[in-house]
Amino acid sequence: MISILRSLWLVFRHLFTRRVTVEYPEEMPYLAPRYRGRIVLTRDPDGDERCVACNLCAVACPPDCISLQKMEDADGRWRPEFFRINFSRCIMCGLCEDACPTYAIQLTPDFEMCEYDRQNMVYEKEDLLINGPGKYHEYSFYRHAGKTVSGKAKGEAAGEAKPVNVKSLNL
Amino acid sequence: MLKAGNAQAMATITIDNRQYEVDDGQNLLSACLSLKKNLPYFCWHPALGSVGACRQCAVVLFKDADDQRGTLVMSCMTPVKDGAIYSIDAPTAQDFRAGIIENLMTNHPHDCPVCEEGGECHLQDMTLMSGHTQRRFQGRKRTHNNQYLGPFINHEMNRCITCYRCVRFYRDHAGGTDLQALGRNHQVYFGRQEDGLLDNGFSGNLVEVCPTGVFTDKTYSRHYVRKWDLQTAPSVCEHCAVGCNTAPGARRDGKGDPRQLRRVTNLFHRQINGYFLCDRGRFGYEYANSAARIYTPQAALTQPLIQTTAGSAKVHQSLSPADAVARLAVTIAQMRSGNRRVIGIGSSRSSLENNFALQTLVGREHFYAGLDERSLALLKLVDRIQRDPRVHSPGTPEIERADMVIVLGEDIADTAPRIALAVRQAARSAQIARAGELKIPAWQDDSVRQLTGIRTPLLVASAERTDLDDIASCRVRAAPEQMVALADVLAQALTAESGEIHAPDIAGLDTGEFTALVEQLKQARHPVIVSGCGLQSQELLQAAARLAFAVAGHKEANHRQTDSREARAALYLACPEANSLGLAQLCDARQNLNQLHRERQSEHTPQPTTLLVMEADLYRQLPASVADQLCAGVDEIIQLEIVHNRTSARADLILPAAATPEYEGTLVNSGGLAQRHYAVYEGSGWIQASWRWLADAAAASGELAGAELSGDEETHARLQSLARWRHVTQLSVALAESYPELAPLAELGPDWDQTIEGQKTARQPHRYSGRTAIQAERQVAEYKPLPDDDAPMAFSMEGIQFACQSPLQANNWAPGWNSNQAIHCYQPKPGAARLGHSSGQPLARKAVVFHSDSAAGDAARPTADPSDGFRILPLYRMFGSGELSNYAGAIASVTEEPFAVFHPQDLELLSLTAGQQIAITESGDRWQLLAKVSDTIPRHCIGVSTGFTQMASIPGAYIEREQIAPGDA
Ligand code: SF4
Ligand code: SF4
Ligand code: SF4
Ligand code: SF4
Ligand code: FES
Repeated sequence: MISILRSLWLVFRHLFTRRVTVEYPEEMPYLAPRYRGRIVLTRDPDGDERCVACNLCAVACPPDCISLQKMEDADGRWRPEFFRINFSRCIMCGLCEDACPTYAIQLTPDFEMCEYDRQNMVYEKEDLLINGPGKYHEYSFYRHAGKTVSGKAKGEAAGEAKPVNVKSLNL
Repeated sequence: MLKAGNAQAMATITIDNRQYEVDDGQNLLSACLSLKKNLPYFCWHPALGSVGACRQCAVVLFKDADDQRGTLVMSCMTPVKDGAIYSIDAPTAQDFRAGIIENLMTNHPHDCPVCEEGGECHLQDMTLMSGHTQRRFQGRKRTHNNQYLGPFINHEMNRCITCYRCVRFYRDHAGGTDLQALGRNHQVYFGRQEDGLLDNGFSGNLVEVCPTGVFTDKTYSRHYVRKWDLQTAPSVCEHCAVGCNTAPGARRDGKGDPRQLRRVTNLFHRQINGYFLCDRGRFGYEYANSAARIYTPQAALTQPLIQTTAGSAKVHQSLSPADAVARLAVTIAQMRSGNRRVIGIGSSRSSLENNFALQTLVGREHFYAGLDERSLALLKLVDRIQRDPRVHSPGTPEIERADMVIVLGEDIADTAPRIALAVRQAARSAQIARAGELKIPAWQDDSVRQLTGIRTPLLVASAERTDLDDIASCRVRAAPEQMVALADVLAQALTAESGEIHAPDIAGLDTGEFTALVEQLKQARHPVIVSGCGLQSQELLQAAARLAFAVAGHKEANHRQTDSREARAALYLACPEANSLGLAQLCDARQNLNQLHRERQSEHTPQPTTLLVMEADLYRQLPASVADQLCAGVDEIIQLEIVHNRTSARADLILPAAATPEYEGTLVNSGGLAQRHYAVYEGSGWIQASWRWLADAAAASGELAGAELSGDEETHARLQSLARWRHVTQLSVALAESYPELAPLAELGPDWDQTIEGQKTARQPHRYSGRTAIQAERQVAEYKPLPDDDAPMAFSMEGIQFACQSPLQANNWAPGWNSNQAIHCYQPKPGAARLGHSSGQPLARKAVVFHSDSAAGDAARPTADPSDGFRILPLYRMFGSGELSNYAGAIASVTEEPFAVFHPQDLELLSLTAGQQIAITESGDRWQLLAKVSDTIPRHCIGVSTGFTQMASIPGAYIEREQIAPGDA
C-alpha cells in the first residue's frame, strides 16, 4: 500500500520537472561531434584517401559488418579496392574508429538512416568517402610510415634518418 | 629435427617455483615452449637451432634454492639440467627482455597497417608479450633502401630486427649463396649484392622464417587479406610426389571475383616437410587462379564453318551444368545399352577417388592411365621395388640423419625439392655426430658448425650439374648406363667377400675416389639411396634397387641389427606426380596411352567411341602426332579439367574440375603414403570434384529412357553404385574394398558425419571478419554457409578452432601466438609430430621379393655412336617442369625457355652455337629449343628440358643426327 502511494507521488512529481525529449524532427537535438552515428571514410590533409586497407576496423567490428579488399596503387599506397559497410548490421559501437590507425574511419553525429529496403543500407566506398579530414585535421599516416610512396622516399618520413649506404664503412 | 638419439632421458627442473619433468638434452627455451610457457624469442628456430643472437629469451638461473639473485642466462643457449631452478617471471628477466625489445623497436618503422606480416607477426606478438607498448625513444630511425628480389618475395628492410634467421635458413640450411648479412654495426643489411631474383629454390620459406615483415609473399600481397580472414584446411601439395602438407588460405572476394585462393603456407608434417616447402609448392598455387582456369561447363560449337576455320582446336561455348550433365548422361546411357564404347583416361595428378569413380564408370578394362608407356612402366617398377621387404622409403628425418647418401641419377632438387633439402641436412649429419661425441648438443648451431672439415659422404651421380653438387663428397656426371654400372659395382663391392673390385669407367671418377666410396658405404650404418623416374630409365631404378638390397644384406651381416626394420635399406624413389603411385595401384602396366593408341589403330569397330579424359593432357604425354591420331580416331572427347590445355582445345564437352584445394581426396606420395587433402574453399563457378560430375551423370543416365532395357548387368551395377555415392569417404571405403593395397583408405580420416563432441571443425578462424558485409553488395541477407558433404568441417567460423582438438584444423594460431610460430602450441615439443594429427597411412602393399629383370651386365648398353645419334637425357627445372605450376603467373615469369644442353664438342660436331635456336624433329613433332653448352653433360648426350609447357612431351630416348638442325630464331 505504501509503495503504491509512493509510486503515485513520484509520478505526480515528474509532471513538474523539465522535459528532456524534444519534438524531433521539428526540433533537432544537439549532438556532440563525438556522437556515434553514420560512418564516413575521411581524407588526409593532402586530400588523399586515408584508409590503407589494413582491415583492423573489419576485425574489430562485433557484428562483422565491414568488408574490404586491399590493393596497391601505382604510387605505392595501400588502398581499399572496395570498402563496404552493411549498416543494417552496424550497432554504432565505434570500435572501428577506435581500431583505425589512420583516422580514416570516423563516426559522425548523423543517425538518420532509415530505409524501406534493407539492401539500401549497404554502403560502398563511394558512399562512405567524404572530402575532408573529419574530426582529425592534421594526421597523415604516410608521413609517419616507413613504407615508400611516391613523393616520399626512404628516410623522408617523420623521425627518419637518411638511408644507410651499406657499401660505406659505416663507422 | 636436429635431435639425435631416440631413448630420451628426462630431467626435473623448477621454473617459477613449479617442478616439471622435461626431456633432457634440449635447451631451456625449447623446454619452456614444450611446457606452453610464453617466453619470447627471435633467433632460435626448431630446425635451425640456437645461436643466442637476439638476447630476447633471457631467464634467470638460480644456483640453488638459497640463491635469491640468480644470473641472467639466454634460455636458448642453456641446456636443461636436472634439478636446476629457473625463473621466467623474475623481474630481472622481465626487465631485461622488455629492454631488449625496446631496443629492437627503436628503428622499427610505423608500418604495421601496411605490412603484409601484420596480424601474423612474431615481432608484434613478442612486443606484446614483453609488455613494450609505448615508444620512448625520441631519436631518428635508421633506414634502408629495399631491393627487388624477384616476383616471389617482397623486401622491406626497415622492418629488420637483425635476428639473422634469414641468412641462417637461406645459407646454412638451404645452401643458398646470394643472400647475405651486409654492412656492420646497427646498420646490418640482409639482402643480395645487387637487385635480382633470389636463386635458391627454398627462398619462399624466408616469408615464414623471418619473424618480421622484411620478407613477405609478393603473390599473396596482390590479393592480400589478413591471416584472420583466411579460411583453411589441411591440404597436400600437388606439385610433385613428395606430398608436403600445406595450409592453403582462401577467401571469397566481395566483388564476385572467382579467384578465391590467396596463398599457400607450410603445414607441419614431421615425416615429410617439417617446417619448409619449396618454391614450386608455395607459389604454384596461382594456377588455380590463372586465366586458363575453367569455371563453367563448355561445349564445342558444331557449325562446320567454325570448325574448319579453327583447325583441330574447337570453339567452345558455356552451357549450364544441368545441360552438361545431361550430355554426359546421354553418352553413358549409350554405353549402358551397349551402343557406345567409353574409354576413361585417368590422371596421376588427381585423387584416387576421382580415378576410381572414372574406373567405375567405364569399367576396369576400359580404364587407362593418362601416361605414356614409358612413364607407367617406370611407376609400376617403382611400386614393385618398394614392395620388397628389404627396402623402405625413408621419411625426411631419417634422410637428414643418414650417414651416407647416394643420389643415383635423379635431379631431386628439381623433381623432389623437399627431399633435396633433407639430403642437404644429411651432409651435416657427420658433423652433428662428431659434435655429439664431444658432448656438444645438436642445437648448439654455431658450435657444431665450428667443426669444419667433417662431411657426410654424399655421392651425387647425375646427368648434368645439380643443386646438390656443392655438398657432394663425390660427383659423377654420367649417362644412365654408367650410373647403372657404378651402382652395380658398389653393390658387388658390398657383397663380395674379397677380391678385386674395379672402378667403372666413368670420366672423373678415379680409383682412389671409388675405393673411398666403397669404404664409406661399408662403414655406413644408415645409408640412404635416392633415385627416381626422372631419367626415365628402368635399368637405373633396378640398379638402385640392387644396390639397396646389397646394403640391406650388408647391414644384416655386419651391423647385426636385431630389429628387422632397422636392417632394411632406405631407398627413396622419386615419382613425377602427386598421385603417381596411387594411379599405379589402379591399373596394370598395359593400361597406358601408347597401348590404347595401338589398340585403336589395329581395330576397326563401327561402334562409336568416347574418350573420357580426366585431368590429363594427352599432348603432354604423347608426341603430338600420336595424340592427334588418338583424338581423331574417336567421335567424341569429353574432358574433366582444371585448366585449359591442348586436349581440352579438342574436347567436345569440358567439365570444370576442382583443383586440389577445392575438393577432398587421397593422394599417394613417392614414399607410398596415402594422404588426404581437404577442401579449403568451395570453388567458384560450377567447379566440382571430377567424381561428382561422373556420379551426377551416372545418376542422370539411369533416368534416361531405355537405358536399363539392354546392356549387361555388371555395367548397370557399377553405374548404380557410382550414382549412389554422396560422400567422398564412401569412395575411399569402396576403394579399400576393391584394392587390398588401398585398404588403409578406409581409416584415413574422419567421415563426413564424425563430429567431435557434436562439433565440426571450423575452416575460418574465430576472428574471421566481414561475415555480414562481404556478400552484401548482391544480397544483404547473409547466405547460409555451404554444407560439406565430405568432411566434418564447416565453411564458417562455427566449430572447433584449435588444432590440438581436431586433426582437421590447419589454422596455425594460439592465444598470444598469431604468427606461424604458434605451431609449437600443437606439438608435444618443438620439432615433434603434431598432436592429434593423423595425416597419412602407408599403403598396405604385400611384401614381394623383387627380382631384377636383367642381370647386372646386360643393363649397360653401349653409349650411342656419335656418328649416327644422340642420347636424350631429360632435364628438369623446379620452375618449368611442373604441369600445373607452369600456369602460375609468378612462376611462369621466371621460367626459362625450353633448352637443349650439349657438350662443347658435340655442339661443334653438329656445327651449332650456344645461344642459337635449334629444332629437334622426331616422329612428326618439332621442338624449338635454345641451344646451351655445358662441359658437365656426358658426350653424345643432349639434355632436354622436360615438362615445359611449350614443348609438352619430350623427344624419345634416341635422336638421329639429322634430326637436329638450326631452328628459326
Ligand atoms: S560502429 Fe561498430 S558495428 Fe558499426 S561498423 Fe564500426 S565496429 Fe562495426
Ligand atoms: S582501420 Fe582504418 S585504415 Fe584500416 S582498413 Fe579500416 S578504415 Fe582503413
Ligand atoms: S630480415 Fe628478418 S630474418 Fe633476417 S635478420 Fe632481419 S628480421 Fe631477422
Ligand atoms: S617438394 Fe614437392 S610436394 Fe613439397 S612443396 Fe615442393 S613441389 Fe610441393
Ligand atoms: S632466441 Fe635466445 S637469444 Fe635469440
